Amino acid sequence: MRQAPSRPRGPEPDPVIEAYKKHVDRTLLRENLKLTPGERLEKLAAFMRSLREVQGAAGPGRR
Amino acid sequence: MPPARVAADFGGLLRALRAGDVDFIVVGGVAGAAHGLARATYDLDVVYARSPSNLERLVATVGPLSPYLRGAPPGLPFRFDAANLRRGLNFALTTSLGDLGLLGELTGGGGYEDLLSDSVEAEAYGVTCRFLGLERLIAVKRAAGRPKDLEAIAELEALEEERG
Repeated sequence: MRQAPSRPRGPEPDPVIEAYKKHVDRTLLRENLKLTPGERLEKLAAFMRSLREVQGAAGPGRR
Repeated sequence: MPPARVAADFGGLLRALRAGDVDFIVVGGVAGAAHGLARATYDLDVVYARSPSNLERLVATVGPLSPYLRGAPPGLPFRFDAANLRRGLNFALTTSLGDLGLLGELTGGGGYEDLLSDSVEAEAYGVTCRFLGLERLIAVKRAAGRPKDLEAIAELEALEEERG
């Protein structure tokens, strides 16, 4: 995806966000970055369908 | 226990908005996913242009999808028309294609015209749409200051780092 013009960096690093960042699975992000935006959104739709199927298998009303 | 939430038909909604020639920018979780975010998201959020002609196109496009205010009790006399869109700003809707957020403005981000220069075009689900750029997406999520966004912001920033 072509990126919008770059702007000056925003606020300083937030310690809470930095703490969360340590737990981000970057392997998933790297795999997604190999795809086109369209492929990423197809993947999202497929993931949401599979999530729905799992929820359905767990029984009515389960989340 | 409430019923499981069903994800919107993202492709169906985007194709409808494009077919209706609506001016909009995809924001939120779907925009994050277009950039590479690996998180579940259930609704499609778009920032729409507030020009009178665009409001008319929005009504013509979304009106047939049985829009109703999300979370509102059934039976309210809600009319999805240009007059109500002008009177309001942000609308969280249910539609026959799933949940749709119509945002006149983003906290800390402004409206369609303010975001346009920081949006990017990409093809998805067979149509070309505008998505908010990654850097601006992070900025508006930070500005919103919602605790529920902290993990998503961390992942978006990690994504930005990985992209280099």
